Amino acid sequence: MHRRLAWLLLAPALLFIALLFMAPVLALLAGAFRIDGAWALSPLITFFDEPLHREVYWRTLRIAGLATLTSALVCYPAALAMVRVPPPWRGLLTGLVILPLMVSPIARTYSWIVLLGRNGFFNALLQGLGLSDEPLKLLFTEGAVFVGLLQLMMPLMLLSLVSALENLPADVLAAAATLGANRWQAFAKVVLPLTQEGLIVGGTLVFTGCVTAYITPALLGGPQVLMLETLLYQKVNVMSDPASASVIAVLLLVTTLMVNQLLKRVSK
Amino acid sequence: MNSPLLARVGLAFVLGSVLGALPLVAQSQSQSQSQSRSLVVSTYGFNGDLLKKHVYDPFKAQCKCDLVIETGNVAERLAKLEARRANPVVDLIQMPDFTALEASNKGLLQPIALAKLKNLGEVYDFGRDPLRNQQAVANTVYLVGLVVRSDKPASASVTSWKDLWRPELKGHLMLANITGNQGLATLFMADKAWGGLATDLSTGIGKIAAIKGNVVTFYTQTAQMTALFAQDEAWVAPVGRFAWPNLKKTGKPLKWVVPKEGQLGVMNVLAIPKGAKNADLTEQLIDFWLSRDVQTALANDLVDSPINRNARPRADALDGLTFGAEQIDSLTFMKPDMVVRERAGWVNQWNRMISTR
Repeated sequence: MHRRLAWLLLAPALLFIALLFMAPVLALLAGAFRIDGAWALSPLITFFDEPLHREVYWRTLRIAGLATLTSALVCYPAALAMVRVPPPWRGLLTGLVILPLMVSPIARTYSWIVLLGRNGFFNALLQGLGLSDEPLKLLFTEGAVFVGLLQLMMPLMLLSLVSALENLPADVLAAAATLGANRWQAFAKVVLPLTQEGLIVGGTLVFTGCVTAYITPALLGGPQVLMLETLLYQKVNVMSDPASASVIAVLLLVTTLMVNQLLKRVSK
Repeated sequence: MNSPLLARVGLAFVLGSVLGALPLVAQSQSQSQSQSRSLVVSTYGFNGDLLKKHVYDPFKAQCKCDLVIETGNVAERLAKLEARRANPVVDLIQMPDFTALEASNKGLLQPIALAKLKNLGEVYDFGRDPLRNQQAVANTVYLVGLVVRSDKPASASVTSWKDLWRPELKGHLMLANITGNQGLATLFMADKAWGGLATDLSTGIGKIAAIKGNVVTFYTQTAQMTALFAQDEAWVAPVGRFAWPNLKKTGKPLKWVVPKEGQLGVMNVLAIPKGAKNADLTEQLIDFWLSRDVQTALANDLVDSPINRNARPRADALDGLTFGAEQIDSLTFMKPDMVVRERAGWVNQWNRMISTR
């Protein structure tokens, strides 16, 4: 009886997900493996036969991977500091962390255009410090896309890690110290393993966000720094090539799932 | 009061009410019959309020019919047209000439009775039947020329598309990406200027690839291009005329240059989907859209440059328009069939040269 009731309660949500999410996604994915009504792997092979597509895929992986790694390295110490401050201050810090997420992505990206330009803040700083004689090309480069994505996605990593660290029992560090562990050993052998779920969730969110972002690579990278999402837009809107667009959609999904599994495996 | 009197008063009241209401009923029936004809217009998502003011509302008042507006980008609207091929919903679609040809090649459009369009005679020759199959009429034209910083010697002396290859413009040259009309125009004019065949555009692509290191970026949006001029990042760029008023608002010393090889004209057209059920009424709407008054009103509000040669926009609006003999005579057009046939190949070739190391 309880089981039946449980299914009954779940049914609307399951139906919603099945009809409005799973079915369209499966239909889209199936499109990547259909040629003239028959199943085939050739669209995927043809896609990777093109050197440009291989370069775009590799570039997307490289930028997203680097942004994920950097956000983990930067956010772990920040999250450790945040969980140590008193709760009212922690609330304020959390608000500051999510503030970039509340700014329009277009406005945020345009502000990077101003900062990274030849006459922008960073070039003025580099020249002021005597590190460069002339303005450097910072904008419309892989570096610009990386910085834009890092700023956009870092809050997701930070919040995941803060959440995981908040659930860490307060006395484990004291116990580790009692058993003779120094600070680094306590972090590596106690804190890290116990908060790895937060790292996996944060890592997956950041990586997925980076590979599927459109506005940041489109505005800060431009056509010189094509990524999978900007290429997908071109395939649909300019080249009327839904078959290649479906292949890219499959790649985005499979890559994200693989990275999630990889993070889980590494953390074991 | 006795009851027969009450009954008579009551009867008179009821009869009076019924008789009084009859004209209202008749009017409402007549309205519902005319209102029952409804046209679906598929168009771009911008300037909707001004199009409503100058085209949709006046036409509704004239035809006593209703207009339903569907907006979206061209690819999305073309895909919808294809998906509803068996049972078309849209009565009138607005799109670039080459996209209209793509739709026509797929059998998605039907001929327009051009002879019924009273205002067609006032339309520039090139806009009357741009697909050469009577399936579309241009409703606007705009040009793509060059905008330069007049205070920088390197850019102020630009008079030709070939001048964009000058080494002194390195780091200040902005081009448009091939995914937009301005990019396509740049590529076409570069190919023409450097003696290409104007059919495969490989000369133009090769030439642009050779200076990709000089280019600030290949802009994809007009707002991005304006921002880069405003920040002194760019000194020269190919620009659609519609963007000129906003560029001047940046306060930078900019001037419009008509290159000696000419400027490229880009047309938007109106077309009727195959199987549309209200072709006669739609043709009236097309004719209305092409009329001198509507074209003048749209031009005055910088919605679209006029395709009607007799439109007379206000003097203060001319700067943002493609208008006047000098501009119209400087226009070169790409053949829509060539764009349809080659565009995907050009984009692939462009991406390989621009987006790879």
